Amino acid sequence: MNKLTLVLSFVLISVSSITTAQTAKEIAYLVYNKKSPLNGESDMTMTLINKKGNERVRILHQYFIDLGEVEKQLMFFKSPADVKNTSFMNFTYNEEGKNDDQWLYLPALKKVKRISNSNKDNDFMGSDFTYEDMEKRSPERDTHTLIASEMFNGDEVWVLEAVPVEEEQYSKKVAWISKDKLSPLKIDFYDEDEELLKTLTVKDINNMEGFWIIRGQKMRNHQRNHTTKIDLTNIVINSGVLSSKFTQREMQKGL
Amino acid sequence: MKKFTHIVLKNYRIVLVFIVLGTIANLYSIKQNFALETDLETYMPKSHPAFVFSDKAEEQFDIRDAILIAVSDSSGIYNESTFKKIKALTKAIQKLVVVENKDDVLSLYTADNIRGEDAGLEIEPFFKRIPKTDLQFKQIAQNVRSNEMVYKRLVSEDEKSTLIFTKIKGNSFSEELYEEILTLANSYKGDGLEVYVAGQPIVEGTMAILMPKDMKKMFPLVLLLIFVVLFVVLKSFKASVISMLVVILSSIWTFGLMLGLGIPIYAPSSLIPVMLIAIGVADAIHMFSHLQLQNKVHKNWSNEDLIVNMNTEMFSPVLMTSVTTAVGFLSLLSSDIIPIKYFAAFTAFGVIMAMVFSFVLIPAALKLLGIPKNKATAKSTDTAFSIKSKRLALKLVAHKKTVFATTLLILLFFGFGMSKVWINSSFLARFPDSNPLVTTDAFVNEHFLGTTTINVILESDESGKFKEAEVLNLLADLATDVVEQNENVGGSISLVDFIKRMNKVLNEDREEYYTIPDNSDLIAQYLLLYEMSGGSDKLWEVVSEDFNTANLQIQLKSDNSKSLNATLNSVELYRSKFEDLGITLNFAGSGYKVLVFNDLILQGQIRSLLYSFLIVVVLLTLMFRSIKLGFIATIPIFITTVISFGVLGWLNIPLETTTALISSIAIGIGIDYAVHFIDRYKIEALKHENKSIAIQETMAHSGRAISFNAIVVVIGFLVLTLSAFKPNIALGALISLNMFTSFIATITIMFIVLYASNLFFKKLN
Repeated sequence: MNKLTLVLSFVLISVSSITTAQTAKEIAYLVYNKKSPLNGESDMTMTLINKKGNERVRILHQYFIDLGEVEKQLMFFKSPADVKNTSFMNFTYNEEGKNDDQWLYLPALKKVKRISNSNKDNDFMGSDFTYEDMEKRSPERDTHTLIASEMFNGDEVWVLEAVPVEEEQYSKKVAWISKDKLSPLKIDFYDEDEELLKTLTVKDINNMEGFWIIRGQKMRNHQRNHTTKIDLTNIVINSGVLSSKFTQREMQKGL
Repeated sequence: MKKFTHIVLKNYRIVLVFIVLGTIANLYSIKQNFALETDLETYMPKSHPAFVFSDKAEEQFDIRDAILIAVSDSSGIYNESTFKKIKALTKAIQKLVVVENKDDVLSLYTADNIRGEDAGLEIEPFFKRIPKTDLQFKQIAQNVRSNEMVYKRLVSEDEKSTLIFTKIKGNSFSEELYEEILTLANSYKGDGLEVYVAGQPIVEGTMAILMPKDMKKMFPLVLLLIFVVLFVVLKSFKASVISMLVVILSSIWTFGLMLGLGIPIYAPSSLIPVMLIAIGVADAIHMFSHLQLQNKVHKNWSNEDLIVNMNTEMFSPVLMTSVTTAVGFLSLLSSDIIPIKYFAAFTAFGVIMAMVFSFVLIPAALKLLGIPKNKATAKSTDTAFSIKSKRLALKLVAHKKTVFATTLLILLFFGFGMSKVWINSSFLARFPDSNPLVTTDAFVNEHFLGTTTINVILESDESGKFKEAEVLNLLADLATDVVEQNENVGGSISLVDFIKRMNKVLNEDREEYYTIPDNSDLIAQYLLLYEMSGGSDKLWEVVSEDFNTANLQIQLKSDNSKSLNATLNSVELYRSKFEDLGITLNFAGSGYKVLVFNDLILQGQIRSLLYSFLIVVVLLTLMFRSIKLGFIATIPIFITTVISFGVLGWLNIPLETTTALISSIAIGIGIDYAVHFIDRYKIEALKHENKSIAIQETMAHSGRAISFNAIVVVIGFLVLTLSAFKPNIALGALISLNMFTSFIATITIMFIVLYASNLFFKKLN
């Protein structure tokens, strides 16, 4: 799985999982292993809100495909006008430790630039999401603790704490995971000094064609006083996008 | 006045008890409400357009003065132990309570390195983990050297020092914070590593703390010395004690009222006791001087007769001097700066209090303690002093033309000096040269781009304006010119640096691409790439998010007003060019605000000086019922002012807040001397109807008191020249100088003009 877990977060309903008492690790694996659509596309509106409350809006169109070993994603900017048709392509590999490949096509430069993203701590498109926030994470990399089992905004949730085995960008994450949707509804991220850094809130989660799809979510960086909202519209699941779409040539064609 | 004095004398115990109780109440008020306002922001006129604009820009671009910590390793910074310390120190500073945001600490450990990588863009810190091999260190050194945005800004050219910039929350500077940072910094010293702490918040904060402290230390010395000199000239312990009480009590009552009203002590208000001593002691000296002279002449008068005579005869001149001085200070109410208004209002109040105490406390105290005896001069009414002053009077009259000519020459000389006066809002210039802050600042300025920042804010109505190549090229030209034209400008940073840097690294690091590309869309896409590659919020410190406003940060190696003004002038050359593109140009930041602030103080001061002249002319015209006398009375003020500013000009001493305020004292003292002198002259003229006797008597009577007053204050305030702080030294020297010139001007040129005017002798002619 790739960053779409959160960007699109297609979550399979897993009815069987709800009934029995779970260990923390098992819950982590349930979320990790849930099924998701193989391909699709949607419009994506990314709103960046700074500490003064000023908003910058970017609208993109994105395609994705899950090829098992690798997941590919291609995005085209629709607005603002001066970056229209700028495109971004991302390959995420399932192989442990293998870095993503990323390219950016700048129409004004007429060149595809590779973004050497050796650092997953980097912000995704200047937003409050880092690349890592958007990727699926092997439960083996964390130590999990089940803190509580409670109600959260009308959903039954597990409150799960994950502490990385090795030192990483977050010292700790606490997630409120819906028992029936197997999707986090809220995540608190703690920085390396164990201070609250960010909070992810899921606004709009819908069942579409058997998948739980997060259509609206918000990440707030408490320390930067900055917020990013990501909203998906015109979602088409299993739209039949071909893997041949995900090439540097296609990037240059524009929408 | 006779009746009043009799009432005071009859009820002197009640009067004294009342004064004691009042003083206790005011001391209590001071103790309860004591508050020193050291936060410079509170001094600024918030509604002034320059400040409104600057505050808005500071908010928008997060413009704050940084505390600078320089880490210096004599063997070069690129080694494991120094890097460990840079990292640890950066992290420790990030954890300080006053550091709101981790991004507010900029060092090699946190700064963005924008570089090209396999035809891509990479924005990462220079290091995260401490490098292990020499090769890695060499690579980092190379990365720094090839990064125009970082080289010399963050790492010195000799690669032996690196800076850590820290922005602190609001204006939370305190002595404790400075100590904390200093202790923290010092704990990293050793093994060939030096750590320096500098920056504007430290300089400002330390000054606000240390200068009043220095004054507190010096002021008792001033008081003591004045007391001693008073004793020497008045030759009476009682008279000296009572004179001191008059000024001390008026200061206490003034501060009691001010603090009681909830107004804290601002820096200018700390000068109130200084003003009251210089001006208020005059009332007491004139009264005692009169008393002593009368005592000699009328040996048969009772104590009560003497006291009543003193109060009645001195009533008119003391009232006149106090009222004119108070009104002179009140003219400062026209200032834009609130602390100056408080200073004006409460100094005026203090002057009136000194007058009241002179009329009430002196008689009551004399009643209680008895009249001081005439020790030294019991034998003859014509004391040596009297003879000398009478001779002087005659001599001056004989050499009228010489006096006029000399005065004219002096005025010309110092008038020319006035044209050389310059204003310096520098805080650092106020510290003694040996202060560690001065040496640290010099170190940082020598090795980096500079500790002082000016921001140029460029604004357009059109969003996306600052993606246009034409606009950015103009901004680039401005940035280049400012650095080239001003030796004190170390460098600048603006949106241009980001774009040029990206253009270069995205074109295989080729130098010829260190330019602004000629394509607005490309610029927009570079900026998007910057954001997508993990570029930090630092971009939003140089441009607004809709790209209609840009901030050019200029770093200077000096906070001296001459450098600041020269820099502003280079920027001004571009104003019309930007206006042609629909862009307005303004300045922002604390360096600029302090400059404007000082200009406002000086403008207010000069305006107030002019008002004072007018007020003095009008009031004295009314009091003496002669417009001619009104003008004659301004002679000492005029000469004192010209000489005071002329000396500053010739000695190249810059004007700053304290020195500027001292010119007020020229008015206060000038008026006092002139009024006492003219009033006495009038009395003598009407008494003797002989000009020659009148001038001799005036010189012997008023001249005596004036010279006592001058000697006392001159010597008292000369002590301040031993202070560590330059403004306090200047304060002491200037007050002494002003007293001296007022004194000389009154007894020479004003005296001659008065004599030549034939006033009060018309009937005879």
